[in-house]
Amino acid sequence: MAAIPTLLPSHDFREALRRRGGEAASRCYQCATCSGVCELAPDEAPFPRRLMLWAQWGLADRLAADPAVWLCHQCNDCTVHCPRDAKPGDVVQVIRALVIEKLAFPGFLGRLVGAARSSWPLLVGLPIAFWVVLLAATGHLAVPAGLPQNWAFEQLVPHLLIYSVFFPAAGWAMLAAWVSGRRFWGLLTANSPGKGSFLAGLAPALGEVATHKRFGTCGAAKPREFGHLTLMWGFVGAAVTSGLLIVGIYIQHLAMPLALTHPYKILGNLSAVLLVIGAGVLVANRLGGGVKAGASTAFDTYFLTVVVLVITTGVLSEVARLSLTAEFALAVYIAHLGLVLCLFLTFPYSKFAHLLYRSLAMVHERGSQAQAPSA
Amino acid sequence: MERLGVFLCTGCGIGDALKAEGLTALAEELGAATCQTSPCLCAPETVADIRAALESGTIGGALLAACSARAKTEAFAFDPARHAVGRVSLREQVVWSHPAGNEDTQMLAEDLVRMGYARLSKIGLAKPLAETIERTVLVVGGGLAGLTAARTAADLGHPVVVVEKAAALGGSLAAVEGLVPDRPPYDSLHDNHLPRLIAELTSNAGVRVFVSSTVKAITGQPGQFHVELVTPAGEVTLAAGAIVQATGSRPYDASKLDRLGYSSSPNVITAPELDAMLAGGGLKRPSDGAVPQRVVFIQCAGSRDPEHLPYCSADCCTATLRQVATIHRAHPDVETAVVYRDMRTPGQLERFYLAVQQQPGSLFTRGEVAGVSGNGHLKVALRDTLLGEGTVLDADLVVLAVGLVPNSADGEAIRIHTDAVKRSQTGESEVQREEAGKVAAQYAGYQGTEILNLDYRQGPDLPTLRYGFPDSHFICFPYETRRTGIYAAGTVHAPMDAGQAEEDGAGAAMKAVQCIVAAARGEAVHPRAGDIGIPDFFLQRCTQCKRCTEECPFGTLNEDAKGTPQLNALRCRRCGICMGACPERIISFPDYSVDAVASMIKAMSVPEESDEKPRILALLCENDALPALDVAATRRMSWNPWVRVIPIRCLGSTNIVWIADSLSRGIDGVILIGCKSGDDYQCHYVRGSQLAQTRLGNVQETLQRLALEPERIRVVELAHDEFARIPEVLDEFAATIEELGPNPMKGF
Repeated sequence: MAAIPTLLPSHDFREALRRRGGEAASRCYQCATCSGVCELAPDEAPFPRRLMLWAQWGLADRLAADPAVWLCHQCNDCTVHCPRDAKPGDVVQVIRALVIEKLAFPGFLGRLVGAARSSWPLLVGLPIAFWVVLLAATGHLAVPAGLPQNWAFEQLVPHLLIYSVFFPAAGWAMLAAWVSGRRFWGLLTANSPGKGSFLAGLAPALGEVATHKRFGTCGAAKPREFGHLTLMWGFVGAAVTSGLLIVGIYIQHLAMPLALTHPYKILGNLSAVLLVIGAGVLVANRLGGGVKAGASTAFDTYFLTVVVLVITTGVLSEVARLSLTAEFALAVYIAHLGLVLCLFLTFPYSKFAHLLYRSLAMVHERGSQAQAPSA
Repeated sequence: MERLGVFLCTGCGIGDALKAEGLTALAEELGAATCQTSPCLCAPETVADIRAALESGTIGGALLAACSARAKTEAFAFDPARHAVGRVSLREQVVWSHPAGNEDTQMLAEDLVRMGYARLSKIGLAKPLAETIERTVLVVGGGLAGLTAARTAADLGHPVVVVEKAAALGGSLAAVEGLVPDRPPYDSLHDNHLPRLIAELTSNAGVRVFVSSTVKAITGQPGQFHVELVTPAGEVTLAAGAIVQATGSRPYDASKLDRLGYSSSPNVITAPELDAMLAGGGLKRPSDGAVPQRVVFIQCAGSRDPEHLPYCSADCCTATLRQVATIHRAHPDVETAVVYRDMRTPGQLERFYLAVQQQPGSLFTRGEVAGVSGNGHLKVALRDTLLGEGTVLDADLVVLAVGLVPNSADGEAIRIHTDAVKRSQTGESEVQREEAGKVAAQYAGYQGTEILNLDYRQGPDLPTLRYGFPDSHFICFPYETRRTGIYAAGTVHAPMDAGQAEEDGAGAAMKAVQCIVAAARGEAVHPRAGDIGIPDFFLQRCTQCKRCTEECPFGTLNEDAKGTPQLNALRCRRCGICMGACPERIISFPDYSVDAVASMIKAMSVPEESDEKPRILALLCENDALPALDVAATRRMSWNPWVRVIPIRCLGSTNIVWIADSLSRGIDGVILIGCKSGDDYQCHYVRGSQLAQTRLGNVQETLQRLALEPERIRVVELAHDEFARIPEVLDEFAATIEELGPNPMKGF
């Protein structure tokens, strides 16, 4: 057995937890009601009791290495039943934010997004400003004269410009996510028998993500599950549409804009409908859900707001193109491009990163189960 | 009493179940001066008629054959100094618990009337004491509990004397900055109100305070204590009516807790040492005077440990919370960790715990301390923490929340020591002197520990119970000690926190005042509150056997040089244990005597062997067993009709002659039902059941010599709430008796 570790209850972590909205953790007296009521807590490693304890001690390393942090879907049954009002659901949410920050690459970006409460004007404003400057520099800040009735956005902002920004941005986000993901996977596999079972766990985990099966198990989080599932598939649809459009433009040589009846257009608009519905449900739930919805931290609100703005500006761009002035459409479109850039660049550092960490945690969990000897 | 009137009630179903004419005929047969039947005996007019008959002298005593003596006590309230009244429980013991119109039921009723009549003809009227009573309350110990007691008694209009051994009042909490909250919202320290309380008391003309003083001697009895104090200004004598002992506690010796490092590092201190440190200059690391950055508190240091203090000291958890809050108030950056086994914060103090837990830099963890190592910088090794593993905490300062040890003196042990010393010098033989010397050596540690220095035959201080606390049964009688008029309060009484100690002080003061008031009326205090009868000793026949002086649980009796008992009536609780102890049967109360009960036994009809109707005598303690029987009857439970119940004050008042009389009369079995004995005793007189067991143990040999089965006598302990058991106990005993067959002494 390894030597008994000397624990220095981490003042810094506990301060961070307190600052970010997890101060109720100190109220916990370890009665384990939370683990008892949790539908998702596995029998052999129940949460969130243990997470609460580690949060009290400030054991950031353990929290970062524990998949349980991500297996929670925050139905807040625990918060509702906690006899001491220690709000485990909210605390675990803050823990997730702190883990994202801790594993971020490079670290300063993690801290910057982590401080969204004060840094949000920079996070949102900078990408928009970047687009304004870029378009000004390339002479696209004005609507060109002689625009046809049925104009396409390509005539305002050339696709090449978009590719030159978004491909590197996506590449960067992928790289940063890769590094953080590697770190997280390394922590997950360091103390558990699930080592090397990535492939075994991948398929079942993806199936679970696709159906939100576990999210549905999670107590009374039904409206949130529906909103989240709808939103997720909306994003998938939007991403697929983007891919199909590249195929359409460069291989099929389709003329832009596509007719509203074109299958790609239908897919795109259907995705937009899903996104609007999903985001609408989530926002409504957050505004009117009470304790069950959990506390809204700045970190949380920041991400949801960006998502809502991306969807709003996206839909509004299309509406403007079809029925409003081109000048207005351009303005909205620039905002949309800026917000999407913001979403891309902050993906590994914002709440968006849950996509990465939760998926990995599920893969790890399923992989461990696949490897465990059958009884 | 002579010329007895018998008053038969036929209400509450009595008249339906029993033949009233049979009972009136019996009364005439017994020679009653009058016998009247009423459908509602408790009606005010009927009671007024009875009272008038007693007042006019038409009758010398009234036997009310109606309901249990425990029922309708207000309707049947007669002055025991003027009227002899007896009650027969026809309702509970007969008609509610036995089939109506049955021969056995009728026989039972008639027997109970015979027995009640016999008792009433043997008792007399009580002569109330009329003594001069001192109203002063003496408080020994000037800490939180004692001062609260002093203020409570003063507020109730009694003169108060406070004696404190130390040079200043206040006790262990005197210099503490803030106290644990005692009112809503219970979430932050309150200013220490002790200085204000001290100022208030010292400026109160009705309160005399003696600091740097001790008690040299206390003689007398409640209402008439004569107290001698040793003060810096010389000896002071004064009178007191009742005494509150609030001598507090001392911290457990931390040097006995080897693994906690108290002896090996200056940076391991005890909680009282931390209090002193915080009061005198603030938080400092003893080794270098720097402010420690990490302070670890170790709870249950010595407490709940069979090798040290087996009990929970009750104060340490809240005291630690108080200290953590105090430290964080002065040093918000200092980190504290509290290692506990269980945090015990009774009542609303849970809210204080929660508030302290939420302070930044405050950590609470369950765990066992495996050891504390290091000298300047310390490492606290933990096992079984909530983390599910062992760990080591870094600490600059370790505070041991040491348990508390009562500042009590074991009066009985001191007495054993002084007796043994005396015997070792004056013993008759060499062997006796040697034996006494051994005992004296064994008890030598008790020498000089006296606090109250009572002039009591049973020792100079309150007898102690478990762990040295002069406590009593917590639920049945929370403040009673075994010395009437002397009440323990605060941490000497039982382990408790500061808030509880205040309540305890107030409670003890109220008991003290109650005792003074009762003494002024010549009445007994708990549990026979209001009883004005006192025991009478027919000393011409006393053989100086000292059983009464030794067995009295309350130290009522002193001895003269020859060993003759000397009654201190105001100490007496009227239990009758002396009466049960006396082999010469010279002790009796006006309305309770060996003769009265013996005559009840003689009055019982004992059918011939051929009738196949055995008879069983049940002596029931009036404190638990009799109420339990009444509850069983109220619930219409039923038991064997051969049983005849005689209520007695305490199983300890059972005189062996009653057993002998019963068996020689041909009664087939005797069962005694009393309160629980042992460490968690519920006996209102502490040792009654235990003494009965011992005395009957002695009888068993005699029985065997007489060729009587020992099974014919049984002692059962039963709590008040076990009413459902009592019919079972009686039926089972009756079955045993039936199996044994008739008492061979029948008919002799």
